[in-house]
Amino acid sequence: MQVPNVLRLVYRNILVNTDPGSLIILIGLPGMYLVFFGFGFQSVSSAAGAGNSYLTYLTPGIMSFQVVMAGTVGGSMLWADRRWGMLSQLLMGPFTRLQYLFGIMLTSILFGLAGALVMLGVAYLLLGSVPTGLLTLGVIFGSITVGSIFFGALMLYISALVKSNTAYNSIQILLIFVVNFASTVFYPLSSGLPIVLKVLFQVNPLTYVSDAVRGAYSGTLTPTDGYQMIVLLVEMAVFLFLATRAYMRSDVSYE
Amino acid sequence: MIDHPLTATTTRSGSDPVVVAENLRHSYDRRRFALDGVSFTVHRGEVFGLLGRNGAGKSTLIKAMTTLIHPTSGTLRVLGMDPAHDGQKIRRKIGVVQQGESFDFTTVQRNLDVYGMLWGIPKAESRRRRELLLSKFGLTDIRKRRAFDISGGQKRRVQVAREFMHDMEVLFLDEPTVGLDVIMRRTLLDSVREEVRRGLTVVFTTHNLEEADYLCDRAAVIDEGKILVLDSIENLKRLYGGKKTIDLTVANGDATRFFSILSERLGAGTTVTVSGSSAVILTDDPKRALSQIAELSQAHGAQLEWLNVRKNTLEDVFLHSVGHGGESLASA
Repeated sequence: MQVPNVLRLVYRNILVNTDPGSLIILIGLPGMYLVFFGFGFQSVSSAAGAGNSYLTYLTPGIMSFQVVMAGTVGGSMLWADRRWGMLSQLLMGPFTRLQYLFGIMLTSILFGLAGALVMLGVAYLLLGSVPTGLLTLGVIFGSITVGSIFFGALMLYISALVKSNTAYNSIQILLIFVVNFASTVFYPLSSGLPIVLKVLFQVNPLTYVSDAVRGAYSGTLTPTDGYQMIVLLVEMAVFLFLATRAYMRSDVSYE
Repeated sequence: MIDHPLTATTTRSGSDPVVVAENLRHSYDRRRFALDGVSFTVHRGEVFGLLGRNGAGKSTLIKAMTTLIHPTSGTLRVLGMDPAHDGQKIRRKIGVVQQGESFDFTTVQRNLDVYGMLWGIPKAESRRRRELLLSKFGLTDIRKRRAFDISGGQKRRVQVAREFMHDMEVLFLDEPTVGLDVIMRRTLLDSVREEVRRGLTVVFTTHNLEEADYLCDRAAVIDEGKILVLDSIENLKRLYGGKKTIDLTVANGDATRFFSILSERLGAGTTVTVSGSSAVILTDDPKRALSQIAELSQAHGAQLEWLNVRKNTLEDVFLHSVGHGGESLASA
């Protein structure tokens, strides 16, 4: 039985992206956030409003953070394939442009889900227990999937638009910083924030993922989390469309 | 030697057209045409060469045939299909070694394995082919090294070897020997020849005319997006009949004036292409040309540093077709 082209591309993406260096960055970095921040900021846990344990508060945040990492994987894969001539090579092979694009998107989702699962495992080692209910895990990993597609599409869109790898990397670093720290990944939305930051928090799609994952993780889901998820789904669809259009129009031919 | 028939499904037939291009035009910027009315046919089982200097339009033509770009106008059929509509079907039956570097960010061995997997080659067969190709292209010692860590020539070898991992009917080679040493160049050309004997059709671009002479059955000289000449290699070499080539270098004096007067005296049937103090003279009467050169050099006190009379090569055909990068003083 022939394996579908998209799955072959996904397998290839995983094979060429799972060197130790990449894995350290993809999983090790969020893991370190969880350990260092989780214990380091314990003293401010009461201010964070997460009961007695900042680590418990941070775990769903760091799981959500994986969607941004997954997005950067997607964008970087497209750039790497362009830079090393594999994009044109694959598109002169038995694949269509759309199959290549879906291959990257699916790889991003897998990285997002795998990263979140690893973080859940790390949290289990640190806390001794994590939620295991099917519905809870369904909401958590469903939100991670939607978030991974959104950030994958966003990074692919940027990747298809910018003309140099340096520009792409700079945008990516800036975006990771702003998206992560202007979200509820590390701390809750507090009333004391300046209005600009408050708006930034509230329109940040990572906040929607983080709130939904945290709500499911701690059993405190609210209707607001549901509304935010609907907004995220719409945004995901828009960026998926924009990314596909930009990528389909971009020049893939080799020099 | 690769002992797997890569093209077992194909049979050699001189009349079966594999690529048919009619009046192809392509512009990247709507101002200048990279392809400007190109027409040709490639038959099954032949090695078709596209010769031209850098920027002549060779790679654009390859990109069009491999479905990477769609020509602005004209008709193109590859394996009887239209690249604009049947791109994926065509790509399943072709192999491409592109001009630029292309490799996955992993080891040499894994590059071949991944490529085999992408093309759906069963695992055992993929391993067998990988071992043969690593050995054939001298990559065994560097199989565990990352592709981006190896030299340019080694990368090229990986790229070429990788393409032989899968079966194909047509192989497009866009300047595949750039960066290869003499031995590897010959290994590559012989591998291609071997596959051609098994029925593979090859479209081969190069600006190395020795390679074209060694490998190609027919060739087209392309320049500024136009095909200038197209014929079998033998016919191209015979293109100028009994003409011979005289290479001449003047050591002193006004070489430009000397060659200008010489060109006038030799008249019709002779082409003098000048580059600095040297000229390549293509003539059907070498005896007369030599006597004129001797006479003129005495009259002008010009010292001849180098004088050589030889048969035409493919290189002369090429230089005559596209000019020498120098000034052509007369037309045949």
